[in-house]
Amino acid sequence: MSRCLAWYAAAAYAFLHLPLLVLAVFSFNASRHTVWEGLSLDWYRALASDSRLIESAVNSLVIAAVSTAAATAVGTLCAYAIWKRRAPLLSAGLYLSLLTPEVVMGVSLLAFFQWLFRFFDVRLGMHTVILAHVMFSTAYVVVVVLARLRTMDRALEEAALDLGAGEFGAFWHVTLPALAPAIAAAALVAFAISVDDYVITSLVAGVDSETLPMVVYAMARRGVSPAVNAVSTVIVAGVGVMILAAERLRKP
Amino acid sequence: MRRRSFFLGLAGAAGCTRSSAGRLNVYNWSDYVAPETIPGFEAEFGVRVRYGVYESTEEMLAKVFGGNSGWDVAFPPNSFIHPMLRNGLLARLRHEWLPNLDHLDVEFRHPSWDPQLGWSTPYMWGSTGIVYSRRLPLVPRSWADLWDDRLRGRLTMLDDPAETLGAALKKLGYSINSTVPDQLIEAKRELVRQKRLVRAYVNAEVRDPLVAGDVLAAQAWSITAEQAIGASPDLAFVHPGEGFALYADCAVILRESRRLELAHKFIDYLLRPKVAAAAARAVSTATVNGSARAMLPEALQNNAVLYPPPEVLARGEWFQTMPAAAQRLRDRLWTEIKSS
Amino acid sequence: MRLERFLFLAPARLLLLALFLAPMAIVAAYSLMTRGAYGGQGLPFNVESYHRLLDPLYLRIAARSLWIAGFSTALCLLAGFPLALFIARAGARKSLYLNLVMLPFWTSFLVRTYAWMFLLRDTGLFNTALLATGVIREPLPLLYNDGAVVLGLVYGNLPFAVLPIFAALERMDRALLEAAADLGARPSATLWRVVIPLAKPGIAAAGLLVFIPCFGAYLTPDLLGGGKSMMIGTLVQNQFTTARDWPFGSAISLALMAIVLLVLALVSRRREGVLL
Repeated sequence: MSRCLAWYAAAAYAFLHLPLLVLAVFSFNASRHTVWEGLSLDWYRALASDSRLIESAVNSLVIAAVSTAAATAVGTLCAYAIWKRRAPLLSAGLYLSLLTPEVVMGVSLLAFFQWLFRFFDVRLGMHTVILAHVMFSTAYVVVVVLARLRTMDRALEEAALDLGAGEFGAFWHVTLPALAPAIAAAALVAFAISVDDYVITSLVAGVDSETLPMVVYAMARRGVSPAVNAVSTVIVAGVGVMILAAERLRKP
Repeated sequence: MRRRSFFLGLAGAAGCTRSSAGRLNVYNWSDYVAPETIPGFEAEFGVRVRYGVYESTEEMLAKVFGGNSGWDVAFPPNSFIHPMLRNGLLARLRHEWLPNLDHLDVEFRHPSWDPQLGWSTPYMWGSTGIVYSRRLPLVPRSWADLWDDRLRGRLTMLDDPAETLGAALKKLGYSINSTVPDQLIEAKRELVRQKRLVRAYVNAEVRDPLVAGDVLAAQAWSITAEQAIGASPDLAFVHPGEGFALYADCAVILRESRRLELAHKFIDYLLRPKVAAAAARAVSTATVNGSARAMLPEALQNNAVLYPPPEVLARGEWFQTMPAAAQRLRDRLWTEIKSS
Repeated sequence: MRLERFLFLAPARLLLLALFLAPMAIVAAYSLMTRGAYGGQGLPFNVESYHRLLDPLYLRIAARSLWIAGFSTALCLLAGFPLALFIARAGARKSLYLNLVMLPFWTSFLVRTYAWMFLLRDTGLFNTALLATGVIREPLPLLYNDGAVVLGLVYGNLPFAVLPIFAALERMDRALLEAAADLGARPSATLWRVVIPLAKPGIAAAGLLVFIPCFGAYLTPDLLGGGKSMMIGTLVQNQFTTARDWPFGSAISLALMAIVLLVLALVSRRREGVLL
């Protein structure tokens, strides 16, 4: 059975990565259209000089970093408290936020912000996008961390308490370190979701807060543009390198 | 809690790095100016322009509806001027700040949607027609030809209820802007009949499949047609005999803008013949600017796709704003067509 | 202890209240209003929008969406389980394999969808290859139909299926598997009788995390389906954009969430709940 599984996994990975390969190949296409016309680095050069693209990429990273940090912190604390003792109302609320389709969440947030702005002289901008991202990421963080917590042995914390640690001490010195991998995983999921979000972001973004998916969406609507392929290939290559590096670092 | 506000503060600082003096925020369709248009304005007037783009009118409307989007200038299509006005979203235009209005083509000086040009100035215009491949066994000349069985699986229609219902209405001999329920229901029936021939409902994205040869006939805008034909000589465009839709994207200043004079200067800048001509050349669409059109190369000036000759143009109909009840019916019919 | 719990829960509670409940309350309010003359919403209050929902047209759309979402979810779970199993048994390379599953997520969802459109076209990779090798004479219509939509949904949500199942499989006590082997069970029997039942919570969580986006999807059906079939997500999107009928769109959104809640209630009957 191991061999069957291995073959299947290979096929599954090929399926997952086939579009990426296509994008990469065509990012080197000299022609604008989807007819192959020779190798060219033109699109990468165009990328480097496209200030709008670079600015939106920076925006995306800032938004993702800030919202991930906030969502992870809020979500971890929340998951821990729920694990200690159920909080049915809060859980129900988080559930609902997971169930809400993106377009509904985006429109509701837009309506809310626009109503709020009647009372304050504020506009849509980076802050509204970040708030929206924290909102939809938190539930995912809670799910991931809580899943890990549920497999954790309470005896560890009880032992710490028996040895004289306070409630918070037990949390800080015993549970949290054990949770570290799960928190990291949750943060990664939140970061990926934030970077890739289009629907909600486009609805609540302001004048100065264009993100990468918004720019890519605009470019892609004009047809499969090789510049878009170049952006995607750069991102995938970058993340791929990071993954390989992390893998190397793990093994001393 | 303190951690969150710290991060929020960081974010706020990241977002507000520039002051609002010497700034203009322009919200336009994507790919609708020449590469040098914005930098030219920035250099001449010593200001920074934040140039945002959108892909659909509704996207733009949703943002500006609240009256605090931050944008100064936007470019809605002509049929949206009236609703935007009624919802208090537009600022009055001061013609003394727009000397270049004289360069507008005579056609567009007193358009039906804004006769005094008190709230908008036309920017670019276009029409809807049929793009087709010469490899087809038939040569489409009318909307009715798009119901031909030989097109099965090779035809696309626009993913726009106003346009697609409009084509069916024209085929039946009615007005594009019909509000008569019986006519609209008849048009819907035609479209449901046509659906099995339709490969997909797509807008500007149909350009690539047309060039690649996947799609052999498409209901398309003149701008898409021009771009497709430029990439593949196999393709041709026709304005259907029964009539067709016309639209014009217009520049407006939003009521919320605090930089009225600068906004006017921008619109005036776009009206300069040289600037308008450069934009028209870069964008492959028709300019409303008569003086600019005269500056275009001969071939482009008389391009039948972008500037149909008068006898053809006479068959065109401008889109109009729909009253609420008619809009409701049209939406419902569109849902029925899409889910049949 | 009380204070600590209160402080731990406070940020999440505040977040939910301000950025979820308040906005949803506004949406609920909108659903009871009437469409303005040119869009937007205003008084009077009425339940007209909900009344409109009872039309067979919309019920058909909901049923169709349930069917496509359900089918896609089932396929996704079927495809994701063996992959999750493989990763769980991988030993040292586990995190590498997991990251490889997540890698496609780092490109824009839209770009990946366009890449699939490019692959599935009549002049795309698959058809060109099949034509060249003489397997088919005419290009297959791989794009702009329900099949393409299901493919797109499965593809886009596969990581969401793999992760929870993997988490459940990883926590599994190996001793149980050894015990089964000791008692003479063949690997396939162990899989069927021991592994899958124990992984059920993970599978249920995966099912939910996949079903929700599938049910409310609109970009994928629109692009890969050629805009030819109306799903409930497209309907909502339409109401908030083209039709500018926010009250009706709000009503559909709330109905959509009610349906998902119903499915959730049917799936999770345990005290602890599937996800939270």
